[in-house]
Amino acid sequence: MLIKCIKAENMKLKHSCIWIACVAVPVIPAIMGTFNYLNNLGMLTEGWYSLWTQHTLFYSWLFYSPLIALYCSWLWRLEHLNHNWNVLMTAPVPVRDVFLGKLAVIFRVTLATQLWVGVLYFLCGKFCSLPGMMPGNTILWLLRGTLAAAGIGTLQLFLSMMIRSFAVPIGIALAGSILGFLFVSQGWELFWPYSLMMAGMNSNRSDDVLGGDILPFLISLTVFFVLFTAAAVLCLKKKDVRA
Amino acid sequence: MENIVATESLSKKYGKKYVVKNLNMNVPKGSIYGFLGPNGAGKSTTMKMLLGLARQTQGDIRIFGVPVREENRMKILKNTGSLIESPAHYGHLTGRENLEIICTLKGVPKTEIEPVLRTVRMEKQQDKKVKNYSLGMKQRLGLASALLGHPRLLLLDEPTNGLDPAGIQEMRELICSLPDRFGMTVLVSSHLLSEIDQMATHVGIIHQGELLFEGGLADLHRHSRLRLKVRTTDDERAFRVLKGADIPVRYDRESGRLLLDSEEDACVLRSVRLLAEHDIGLLRLEELQVSLEDIFLKLTGKKVSL
Repeated sequence: MLIKCIKAENMKLKHSCIWIACVAVPVIPAIMGTFNYLNNLGMLTEGWYSLWTQHTLFYSWLFYSPLIALYCSWLWRLEHLNHNWNVLMTAPVPVRDVFLGKLAVIFRVTLATQLWVGVLYFLCGKFCSLPGMMPGNTILWLLRGTLAAAGIGTLQLFLSMMIRSFAVPIGIALAGSILGFLFVSQGWELFWPYSLMMAGMNSNRSDDVLGGDILPFLISLTVFFVLFTAAAVLCLKKKDVRA
Repeated sequence: MENIVATESLSKKYGKKYVVKNLNMNVPKGSIYGFLGPNGAGKSTTMKMLLGLARQTQGDIRIFGVPVREENRMKILKNTGSLIESPAHYGHLTGRENLEIICTLKGVPKTEIEPVLRTVRMEKQQDKKVKNYSLGMKQRLGLASALLGHPRLLLLDEPTNGLDPAGIQEMRELICSLPDRFGMTVLVSSHLLSEIDQMATHVGIIHQGELLFEGGLADLHRHSRLRLKVRTTDDERAFRVLKGADIPVRYDRESGRLLLDSEEDACVLRSVRLLAEHDIGLLRLEELQVSLEDIFLKLTGKKVSL
């Protein structure tokens, strides 16, 4: 049943403008980061790692969560409009799979975004005349950042499901991200979903913020995922549908 | 007769107000059940409760003989097609792509799309984006998606809304053909009495959340039989005399109308004799045809569109 839901959600992405956001938005922090790097070459002396700190500083702090929020808002907006809730909730599929199907699609689009961020990082590195290839660590951090989307994606998907406005959940994600910076600076990044991706992406750091121990990160992710999925499924089951 | 849908004391309360109250509805298998009531009577809320889109405050619903509960949800939805409120659609996709999504969710082969498109006469518009469709086309697409998978039960909420006269006629003919062509049971709501009169085999009249009448359309028509309006020299006394003799008679003091609820010759003869015996002069005996609208008005106290 979940496969059916994922297939149906993927079909809804056809002709959609979600891909434009996926391609265009990461370009902004890449330009900002590269510009910052080139203007501070005196202090930023670790080559690829220094460029990483600048790229991820803006991307993780200001763009990543709102971008996922935008994907989630877009996906739910389809249902909020034109009475589609009625069709969605009368489809002979378990309610849980309706939510997880959307989450799978969010994860797919996020993975594409992260790959694009990796490509941009590499291209900007070459533009800055950095030697050789990007370090292997950064690929791992990109993947860890993608995993972090499981936490934020679930929360944002839940928020966009409950809030019919397109912009409000994105605003919440932006506020959550900015607040997340405080959590990271206090070393509490595993307790706030929006700071998880900063930890995962190793944002603005050239040494590994998780110290190579990924287990607490995965536990935190799992807890947020289970918590928000359970809340969403409960609401879908108990609340009357307002199409 | 087996009931495909049966509700018992079904109620829905929003805040302190009952939107649906103690509804006992029975939709026989193979029928076209016209669910008639003015706007805001509780038709859509009832249909949403049948589909599990809204939770009842109290009461039970049985569809296909099983209670509407979480464990039966999939079984019921698999055999039910619906068009609730307005036709749902994804505007950025074509009509065909919209139907493909429904096929995927219902687990129905995509080869079924072509026949349902033919049924609703939408084959030529299937590759247009739905946002460019007229309301009538969206309505037909909604019906096409409800028909996918040949459901045993079809719930249609005001399906002719927004259609032009030709479209209304076409939709009516289509709905009327469904039980015979596909063995479906159709529950169709409307605020238009004439529409239900032309489509339904069974009728449920709902007003302010309460079911005021349920039965075959023929039963409803039986109510519209002839009545006799009687004018005498003393209508009040005439009423007492006739009533005392167990003659079906009603007297409305406000309008001063004395009505004989029978057109049988024997009853009329007996009434006239009784009046003469009591020295009450008969001035006029007038035939009255009670229309369906009169019945509706009597039941709901509200005028309906015809």
